[in-house]
Amino acid sequence: MNERWRFQIGRLTAGLPPARGLLPLLLALALWQAFGPRHSPYAPPPSAWWDSVRTMLQNGKLMPALASTLVTFALAMVIATIVGGALGLLIGRSRTARRALGPLLEFCRGLPPPVIVPVAVLLLGYAESLKLLVVAWVAIWPILLNTASAASLLDELMLDIARTFRLDRLTTLRKIILPAVVPDFLLGLRVAVPLGIIITLLVEMLTSLPGIGSLIVISQRQFRSADVYGLLVVVGLMGFVINSLFAMAEQLLLRRWPPRAQEMR
Amino acid sequence: MPALKFNLPGTLTILAVVGLWEFAVRSGAVAFDYLPPPSAVFVAWGGLLLSGEMLMQTVHTLRAVLIGWVLASAIGIGLGLLLGFSAWARRYLLASLELLRPLPAVAFLPLALLLFNFSLTTELVLIVYASIWPVLINTMGGVMSVGTQLYDVGRTLRLSRARTLIKVILPAAAPAIVVGCRLSLGLTLVMAIIAEMLANPHGLGYAVVSELQAMQPQRMFAYVFFIGLLAIALNGALIGASRWFLRDHAVSSHE
Repeated sequence: MNERWRFQIGRLTAGLPPARGLLPLLLALALWQAFGPRHSPYAPPPSAWWDSVRTMLQNGKLMPALASTLVTFALAMVIATIVGGALGLLIGRSRTARRALGPLLEFCRGLPPPVIVPVAVLLLGYAESLKLLVVAWVAIWPILLNTASAASLLDELMLDIARTFRLDRLTTLRKIILPAVVPDFLLGLRVAVPLGIIITLLVEMLTSLPGIGSLIVISQRQFRSADVYGLLVVVGLMGFVINSLFAMAEQLLLRRWPPRAQEMR
Repeated sequence: MPALKFNLPGTLTILAVVGLWEFAVRSGAVAFDYLPPPSAVFVAWGGLLLSGEMLMQTVHTLRAVLIGWVLASAIGIGLGLLLGFSAWARRYLLASLELLRPLPAVAFLPLALLLFNFSLTTELVLIVYASIWPVLINTMGGVMSVGTQLYDVGRTLRLSRARTLIKVILPAAAPAIVVGCRLSLGLTLVMAIIAEMLANPHGLGYAVVSELQAMQPQRMFAYVFFIGLLAIALNGALIGASRWFLRDHAVSSHE
């Protein structure tokens, strides 16, 4: 039992750099705590960050904001995954659609995400749905374009095989198309996830719609620096957890549909 | 790499979208109050170009982008070389950096505002923090993937460690470093715009937000489209530049 656990933990941490590398960061924080000014308006010591996070937990400011940010992010990712994946498949399978929509899609992807926010504010006003739409809009493009490019490179031979075996459409999708597309789709998702986190925070900062992003900005405007530092750590942990969960999901999906190194060509 | 061919259906699609938009607004078919027709956006664009306003904002943003990019590349390449070259540095530094790397850069903006107020410094801090990572990771990876034979070449020629680094390792790692610098340029523009929207009232990002607040949607859209084109142009220029820069590497790197 012990052996097995050690093996599992070893497998999980195999890709990580040695933990000794955390020493400089810990040392810096410890020195900050020990020698930093007690009540600095700019650089409060780490213990003050901890206190202010605890206060925000107790007075019920942190949890609703965190929940709002997470729900927006999660829903937007679901929308982006479904819409981006489906449109990507459709566009990738048609040469005409690819050529006709290519420049437009490239422009949409190339447009720096922050400028979408004012456009959305103009058209939708400061509505709660604005957050969701902006994040989904930004997260769709990497998923869509990666899926489309993978779908366009599908092996025609494999499709012929499907036809020869008289597989119905659903089986063809499941057995032939998905395995070929999933690795690239995941690559797009890997770009979209951190981007989605950043844009969720940004929209909240720009529009003051409730969430962690606006909470940080409000704390900064009121010069509550310990809150700002504390929330920065919270955001970091949030990003870390989301990215780790995604990496695990990716591993599971890749085990189910491993990327094939052009074996048929 | 296929040559840039004129894509007729693609151009037609864009024209059709613009035409449809114009028609939808003119005929009153869409319900948005503040959606200007493309023709009005075009006229506003011309006005902004003629008055020199757009040029001024562009100059500010591009200056911040360039300064931030050079700083981020220098720090990223420096740290990346150190980490790629020395296993000791990796052991005692990498985990700290890996903990900082996934921190969403926008979350640093309020902190930078707190420390440096509304200023170019705040903008640059955000740009540099966000743009270091692609350069750092690619440089480290590039240096680490240099084969041991090349180190042996350096030893055979009795080069000092520093000269081995400059003459042998750097050229071998150059393609990876250039890719990292290219990725980070795209980021610098995005970060500059974010910083200008929230923390430094100058430049293109500020222009978009202030036209929104001034209820000048046609001018806002002109800025939005201009920023999109600028992003594409910057990326295109950099792809061209990196291909020129790496022209001797065509054989060694399998691109």
